[in-house]
Amino acid sequence: MTFTEKYAAEIEGIIARFPHKKSAVLPLMHLAQHYYGYMSDDAMREVAAILDLDPTHILSLAGFYTLYYEEPVGKYVLEICNDLACALRGADQFVEMACNKLEVGVDETTADGLFTIKTVMCLAACDRAPMLQCNLKFEEHLDEAKFDALLARLREQAAAETIETSVVEKITAYAKSGNQVSVIGNR
Amino acid sequence: MSDLITLTIDGTAVSVPKGTLVVDAAKKIGNDIPVFCYHPKLEPVGMCRMCLVEIGLPVRDRATGELVLNADGTPQVNFGRTLQTGCTIVVSEGMVVRTNTQPVDEARESVIEFLLSSHPLDCPICDKGGECPLQNLTMAHGAGTTQMDYSLKLKMDKHVPLGELIYLDRERCIQCARCIRFQEEIVDDPVIRFHNRGRSLEIVTLSDPGFDSYWSGNTTDICPVGALTTSDFRFGARPWELIPVASISVHSPAGANLTFSTRREAKSGGRSVIKRVLPRQNENVNEIWIHDRDRFVHQFADAPDRLQKPLIRKNGQLVEAGWEEAIELVAHKLNGLGEKAAGLSGDRLSNEDLFLFQKFLRQGVKTPHLDLGNRTIMGGDVTAKVGISSGSNLGELGQGDAIVVVASDLHEEEPIWWLRVKQAAQRGATLVILSARPTRLDKFASHTIYYRPGEAVATTRQLLNAAKIAVETAEPDPIKTAADALINAQNLVAFYGAEGLTLAETDTIARLLGNLLLVKGEQPHAGRKNNGLIAVWPHNNTQGAWDMGIHPAFGPGYKALDIPGKDAAAIYAGVQSGEISALYVAGTDPIGDGLLADRGKLDFLVVQELFLTETAKLADVVLPAQSWAERDGTFTSGERRVQRYYPAIPPVGESREDWRILAQIGEKLGLGKTPFAASLVFKEVATAVPAYKGMDYRSLARVEEQWPIIGRSDLYYGGTAYDNKHGLGQQWAAAAEAAAVESFDTADTPTNQPDGIRLIRAAALFTPGTLINHAEVLAERLAKPTLWVNEADASHLQVADGYVVNVAVNGRAVPAIVQMNGKLLKGTAVLRGVPYFPGVVQLEVIGNR
Ligand code: SF4
Ligand code: FES
Ligand code: FES
Repeated sequence: MTFTEKYAAEIEGIIARFPHKKSAVLPLMHLAQHYYGYMSDDAMREVAAILDLDPTHILSLAGFYTLYYEEPVGKYVLEICNDLACALRGADQFVEMACNKLEVGVDETTADGLFTIKTVMCLAACDRAPMLQCNLKFEEHLDEAKFDALLARLREQAAAETIETSVVEKITAYAKSGNQVSVIGNR
Repeated sequence: MSDLITLTIDGTAVSVPKGTLVVDAAKKIGNDIPVFCYHPKLEPVGMCRMCLVEIGLPVRDRATGELVLNADGTPQVNFGRTLQTGCTIVVSEGMVVRTNTQPVDEARESVIEFLLSSHPLDCPICDKGGECPLQNLTMAHGAGTTQMDYSLKLKMDKHVPLGELIYLDRERCIQCARCIRFQEEIVDDPVIRFHNRGRSLEIVTLSDPGFDSYWSGNTTDICPVGALTTSDFRFGARPWELIPVASISVHSPAGANLTFSTRREAKSGGRSVIKRVLPRQNENVNEIWIHDRDRFVHQFADAPDRLQKPLIRKNGQLVEAGWEEAIELVAHKLNGLGEKAAGLSGDRLSNEDLFLFQKFLRQGVKTPHLDLGNRTIMGGDVTAKVGISSGSNLGELGQGDAIVVVASDLHEEEPIWWLRVKQAAQRGATLVILSARPTRLDKFASHTIYYRPGEAVATTRQLLNAAKIAVETAEPDPIKTAADALINAQNLVAFYGAEGLTLAETDTIARLLGNLLLVKGEQPHAGRKNNGLIAVWPHNNTQGAWDMGIHPAFGPGYKALDIPGKDAAAIYAGVQSGEISALYVAGTDPIGDGLLADRGKLDFLVVQELFLTETAKLADVVLPAQSWAERDGTFTSGERRVQRYYPAIPPVGESREDWRILAQIGEKLGLGKTPFAASLVFKEVATAVPAYKGMDYRSLARVEEQWPIIGRSDLYYGGTAYDNKHGLGQQWAAAAEAAAVESFDTADTPTNQPDGIRLIRAAALFTPGTLINHAEVLAERLAKPTLWVNEADASHLQVADGYVVNVAVNGRAVPAIVQMNGKLLKGTAVLRGVPYFPGVVQLEVIGNR
C-alpha cells in the first residue's frame, strides 16, 4: 500500500487547510517519511504527484530541512543538539558518549536498525541542554543515566511493537484542528 | 515626458523610463555595475551582493515637501549608511548613484574574495574560461590576494550529470540561482533546484530523464561561471579559438537566430567543424533563448554518412560518378519530358533553392507538376493576406490583447512560440485554446475549449459565428465568451496547426481564422501591427516554400496559375499509374515517409539530398547537397521574416548547394548561366516575388541596437548569447497592410468522425527524423512511440500502462507503448513520437502484451 492510499483521509484533511494546495507540502512530507522510514526518491515523487509539484521541488525541501532524511535511518533518530549553547554544557562529550554506547558514528545507524545518531543546530531548548530530539519529541537535561533510561524505554517499546505514533499524531491533529489558514496577499 | 526619471550616476545625468533598475540605468550610459545573480530577463533577487553601490536621495523639507538646497544651490542628497544593491533598487527622480567610491570598490573586492573562497582554480580546463563573468569581474574588481587558507577550500563533485545533456561542476557554482530562476520563471520547467544550505548548496534534479526541459541548454549560457556545461561542448575547445558564424534554425518555423562556434581542428582532419550552437539575440524572434533541438541537432551536418559524391545507377548499382556526368545525364533524361515529369521538394531548403527548383521544373523541364513532398498544412495564401503584420513583435502583446491557438501543441511544435505566447498571457493577454486534448499551454489560457477529434473545423466555425453575433446570447456558453474576449481585444493574433487535421481541414481553419480576424470590419485584426494569422508550419522554411511558389496552383509571389499542376498526392498516383515517368526529388523522402511505396512505373528518379534516404536508395541519380551550415541563403519564418544564414563549415565532400545543382542542370536546359552566388539568386527572387521587393542580402543583414545589451566584453550581463551583428531580417507585408481584404470562402470540409475511440497523431519536439537521428547527444531524448489513452478507454481496450501494442494506422501497424493519460477526453487517443499521419482514424489495437 502506498502512503497516498494509507493516509488518504489525512492527506485530504491537510490539503483542505490551505488556500493553495502546495502549502501542504511539509506536513505531507512528514507523513510520507513516517510511512516509508525516509524520503526515498519514490516517496518524493509521490508527494509531488499529490500536490502537482515537480519532484525536484520536494527534493529541494528535503535537502533544506534537516528533519527530512534522504537516506534510510533507524526507527529512532536521536538528533543531538551540539550548537553553541549546548556545546557549552557538554554536548560534544555527550555525543561522544552516545556514539560509544551505541557503537556507531554520527549519521550512522545501529546494526539492529533501531537508532541513528545525528547532530543538529539549535533546537531552541538551550536552557535545558544537553538535549536531543527523538522522532519529534524533546528529551532534555540529559546525562548518561537519563540517556540509558531513554534507550531502555525505546528498546522496550520497539520490542513490544508499540508503534511510536508521535509523528502521525502530531500531523493528523494538525489536520483535524480545522484552523483555516487564510490568504494574506496573493500573487 | 512624465514617464521618464532623471538621476545622476557618477556625475552623469541620465533619463530612463519609470521602473528601471539602477543597474540597467547605468548600463544605458555604459557604466557596467558588476552583477552575478542579476539578469535582465529575470526578476531581481539581490542574492550575490556584487552590485553594491552608494545610492543617495534628495532631501525634502518635511513641512513643505520642497527640496532642501545646499549653500551652492544644488539639492542636498542623503546617502544611506550602507551600500545598496543596484539590481533591486528602482530609479527615482533626483537619485544620485556613486559607483566609483572607495566603499564600493571595497565591497566589490570582498564579494569577489568571498565567492573565490571556495572556487576551484581550474580555469585552464574550464569551458567558460575566457568568457567567464567570474574571471572577468575578478580581473576588474578582485583584490589579487586573499585572506583565505587554500587548504580550507571545500572539495566537491566535479562531473555531476544533470541528465545526459547538461553537466554540473559543484565546485564552480556561485549559487546565483540564475539557472533555477530561468527554469521556473521563464520556461515553467522547475526541474532543477537548490538542495542543502550554505556552503553545501548544490543544484539537483529529480526529473526523469534528468533535467527534463526543452530549454536546458540556456542555463549554460546564463550561468556566470563554468558550473553548467553542455555535453556536446564540454572540454571540446577554448572559447578564444572559436569563430562565431551567424545562422538560423534549420528546423523550427519561428526562425530562431543562432550562432555557430566553429573551429578548424586536427582532430577533425583539419576541417572546420561546429563545436557548439548558441542563441543569437533577436528580440523580435527568440530574444536570447533557443530550445535544445536547435542547440544540439547540428551534429547531422558533420555526420560520417553524409553523401560525398554524385551517384549514378549502373548495372543496378549506385556507383560514384563525377558531377559533369551526373548533370549531363539528368539534363538529358529530363529534357523535353514536359508533363511526364514532376518535382517534389522539402521545406527545409532555402528560398534560393526553392525558387530555382520551381523555375527549373516550370521553365526548364516545362512541367507544371510540383509540390512539397510531404505537405501537412495549408493556408500560405491566407497568411499572405492576413498574416501577422510586418513590424509585429509577440513580445509586445499583453493586457488588452488576445491570442487564439487552434489545433497545435506549441510546446512541442515550436517551443519559441510557446514561450512567447505564454509570456504574453502572463503579461495579461487573453489566451484562447481550441484543442482535441490538453497541452502545456492550457495552464496559461483564460479559455480552453476541447473538441473531439474530427470536430476542429466545426468548433472553429462556432467560434467565428459567435464572434459575429453582437448581442449577448441568453446563456453565454464558453465558446461565446471566448469569441467575445477575442473580438474585443485591442490586438489579436491567431495561431493554427494541423494536429488531427486533414490537409483540407487545415485550409478551412486558416480561412475561418482569417475571417475571425476580419470580423471587425471597421478595425480588423489584420493589416495592423501585432495582429494577424500565424500558421504553425512544420519546418523552418515552409513559409518560404509558399512564397517561392512550391505549390501546384501558385507561382512565386502567390501568382495563381491558369492551369494548376498535380499536387503531391496526384504525383504519387501518377508514379504508380505511369502517367509520371520521371521524378525529381529535392530534400524530401517520400518513400521513407511512407507516402510512396516504391518507384512505381518511374523511368527515371533523381534525388538531391544530404543522406542516402529510402528514396535515394532507389534513385537513378543521387546528387549530394550541402547542408545549411556549409553555405549561405535565406529562410522565411512563420512570422514571414526573411532571415539570412551564413556559411560556417566547408562543404562535405563534393556536395554543392541545392540551388547551384538546379541551376547547373537548368543551364543545360536553356535556362541561362548559373549565378555565381546565392545573393544573386536572391536578387532574382526579389524581382519575382513582389513582397520581397527591396530586400537584398545587405538589407537582410541590417541590425539595430537591442535591449538588453548582451554579448559584448561584458558577458556577465546576458551570458554567452551572441550580440546580433549579422541581421535581424525583414518581415514582408501581408496584403491587408496595403488594402482591405475580402473575407475568405469557407466551404464545409468533409471530416472523418469515426466510431469508437478517435486517434490522432501529436507532434513531439524530438520526434525521430532524418536530421535528428544523426545528433548523438539527443539519442536518449528521442520521443518513443507512445499511445495515450484515457483510463476508461484503456480498460475497454484491455491495456494498461507500459503495454506494448500495435496500432493500425492507414494499413500499417505502428508499435507503441501505452501510457494512461487521465486528462484526455474519453474516446480520444493520441499517438506520439511516430511519423506524421493526417486527420483522425479509428483506434484499432492489434495484439498487446
Ligand atoms: S549553476 Fe551557474 S547559474 Fe546555476 S546557481 Fe550555480 S553559478 Fe548560478
Ligand atoms: S544550542 Fe542546543 S538547543 Fe539551542
Ligand atoms: S545582488 Fe545585485 S547582482 Fe546579485
